[in-house]
Amino acid sequence: MIKLAMVISLFFMSHFGLSSALEEDLTPDQRIQFREISKDLRCPTCTGLSILESDAQFSIQMKTAVKEQVLAGKNKTEIMSFFTERYGLWILREPPKKGFHLIAWALPLSAMILGPFLLWFFVWRKRIAAKAKAIRPTKEILSELDRLVDKEKAGI
Amino acid sequence: MFADLGFYLLFMCFVLSVYGTISAFFAARTRQIRLYRSSKYAATASTGFCIVAALLLFYMLFSRDYSVMYIFKNSSNDLPWNYTFASFWSALEGSHFLWLLLLSIFSTMALWTSSKNNEHIMPWVSLTLQAVLSWMYYLAISYSDPFVKNFPLPPDGVGMNALLQNPYMAFHPPTLFIGYTTLTIPFAYAVAALCYGDITEGWLKSVRRWTLFGWTALTVGIILGGRWAYVELGWSGYWAWDPVENSSFMPWIFATCLLHSLLVQEKIGHLKRLSVVLAFLSFFFCFFGTFITRSGVISSVHSFAQSSIGPNYLAYLASLLGGMTILYAVRAPTLLPPDTDKAWGVSKESALMLTQFLLGTFGLIIFIGTMYPIVSEMFTGARFNVQAPYFNTFAPWIGLLLVAAIAVGNLLRWKTGKFLGGSKVLIHSIYWSLPVSLLFCYYGRVFESSGFRLGIQVVGVSMTFWAAFCLTADLSQRLKSLKGSFRLLWQRNRSYLGAYLAHIGFLVAMLGFLGNYRGVETVKTLKTGETTQLYGYEFKYEGFNVLQDQNATLYGGVLSLTKDGKPMGTVMAARSKYPTKPELLHEVGLLTRFWHDVYVVLPDFDKATRGETATFHITINPTVRLVWISCVIMALGGLIALLDRNRGLNTKDHLEAVE
Repeated sequence: MIKLAMVISLFFMSHFGLSSALEEDLTPDQRIQFREISKDLRCPTCTGLSILESDAQFSIQMKTAVKEQVLAGKNKTEIMSFFTERYGLWILREPPKKGFHLIAWALPLSAMILGPFLLWFFVWRKRIAAKAKAIRPTKEILSELDRLVDKEKAGI
Repeated sequence: MFADLGFYLLFMCFVLSVYGTISAFFAARTRQIRLYRSSKYAATASTGFCIVAALLLFYMLFSRDYSVMYIFKNSSNDLPWNYTFASFWSALEGSHFLWLLLLSIFSTMALWTSSKNNEHIMPWVSLTLQAVLSWMYYLAISYSDPFVKNFPLPPDGVGMNALLQNPYMAFHPPTLFIGYTTLTIPFAYAVAALCYGDITEGWLKSVRRWTLFGWTALTVGIILGGRWAYVELGWSGYWAWDPVENSSFMPWIFATCLLHSLLVQEKIGHLKRLSVVLAFLSFFFCFFGTFITRSGVISSVHSFAQSSIGPNYLAYLASLLGGMTILYAVRAPTLLPPDTDKAWGVSKESALMLTQFLLGTFGLIIFIGTMYPIVSEMFTGARFNVQAPYFNTFAPWIGLLLVAAIAVGNLLRWKTGKFLGGSKVLIHSIYWSLPVSLLFCYYGRVFESSGFRLGIQVVGVSMTFWAAFCLTADLSQRLKSLKGSFRLLWQRNRSYLGAYLAHIGFLVAMLGFLGNYRGVETVKTLKTGETTQLYGYEFKYEGFNVLQDQNATLYGGVLSLTKDGKPMGTVMAARSKYPTKPELLHEVGLLTRFWHDVYVVLPDFDKATRGETATFHITINPTVRLVWISCVIMALGGLIALLDRNRGLNTKDHLEAVE
């Protein structure tokens, strides 16, 4: 029974390729470059993973392509544009910093920079507004009422 | 027959909660306490029915009653008892039902344990809770009915999702859902405060208690989820900024904000409206998260449950947002700040405000990243899924700023720029933190990373230790003022102790994340008897093994580890096959040590020779253990703070009212 199960499972396993030895013949500098590039490329068949983290067939093919280009001496921008030309911007894992996608970067940055100013402005304004709306200490209001009552009395 | 009964019970729950909503509304308008009681009893009865319905589903799961569609689709004869239990919430209908059950139970608890001081607003609280409940009951009898029948009766089920056949799945969803559901209660109180037009005397105490409880559960739930991903998915990480992970993190962020704004509200009476808004946001993002998971709008590894429920959810969320905005716009001016006094200078309240801002910005960034696929599709026509690198660009900066805010904010005092011990504390903590950080970096082998990463790790670690020493200095100042009596501090100020622990837990988690910034890994194909080296360890491939573990068959390669000639034990990295599912899953081989985990995955093995050669993916993950430890510390902090009976009674407003 176990044998049978094993045979069946082996069949399903075949889509996992061997990913070993991809980095072995790279120099330390090339290895760093290889990792830097493959961690920024999306694994097309997984969810949420880069090709570096994935051992799926497709990722291994892509990693092999990255490795070949690293060995050919191309830099990161060249290799990235190689992939975006073929697969579209979709292959990247973060929005590119141009065109519409700039908004994904501009919004958080402006929130982080403008935020403290807005905060200061609103909190500061709150202090002024509280005075303007005459929200005064209860004691002050009470003593004013007392004065008014005294005035009324004096009037009578 | 039980299925019919279950459906009938859920239908009754729906009717009861609709009645409860309406009666609560009239109770609030006509101020009839008996109507309110009637509404409360309706909630209680529906909870009772819901519990019975849940027990029925459990009974049918364990008796393998495949005449129920949900059970047919999500369990099978081979499931051991623990996974049969967990299969209750392994797909849409069941997890929705679990949520419903917990929400029902906690709502009833909130109604029965309410303070006498909140009497005036309780009808509104009941109204809100039961309105949410009736919508969920409506879904449970329409779009996500767990009791749908299946005919003809099959002999075996399709089986539970194999990824979920993991011990952590028995605990992770219920814990997370306890967090989600209890965050509904602060929201209900927020709506009640707006409708009633004032913050009543017991408001803060109740809201604080439920928020704290929800926050603790959410913290534990999220980290348990991370632990599940770590041992189940086999990519040696625990957090990938996946949409579903993000959507559990967003309510956590807003609940954390809420806790801090409640603190300001208690001490100086400000930020009442902010508390109301935050209570709404933390509730809203709980449902927003479910919407993302359930509707399949955004793809995720955790989308175990997809259905046509999407548009319904969207309508609900939109009406929540719309309704709450209108209610807030109309009623918020009734929530007044107290008499103005000296506040918002350089002081604790300002530091807390800054923390709110940091957390809020982080929430915004996560929201943008999570929603970006939809937004980009709308404007550019192409869907762009944002993944980890985007979030990782911002996370370290926000994290470091938060650490600084924790250090300074905890030392500062209310309404004044001075603090106990003065700037001496800040500087002395730097002296203290330097050697400790050096030790940490040495043992955690931080210096092996390079460039930007090295910089942020060293700076981050020193800052974190500096913050920890600042916190501890503050604790010792407090103790000194009580003549060193820890017992007195425990009696009087458990919330302070709880907060201290929670913050320390957060800092420990930061250390874990910082150490994690770097991993060493290798992929090696080994023949039996061959060895490989990594990070001072020697791995020897001992041979292939086929094991049976409960219902799964494991095909595993056994590695024996030695370090400096000393044997460290063996690990087995395996692929597991479940009887009902075709795919092979990872069973991670894990050797946990204090400073790092040795994490072994088996990507492949030679089938022809039955594992004569096998490929191992070995990763050294530094300081992961600190992340799990931080969970325990934070949860402990939350629980201790919950035990504080005095907090929330002597708020600024009440003290003035007494004057």
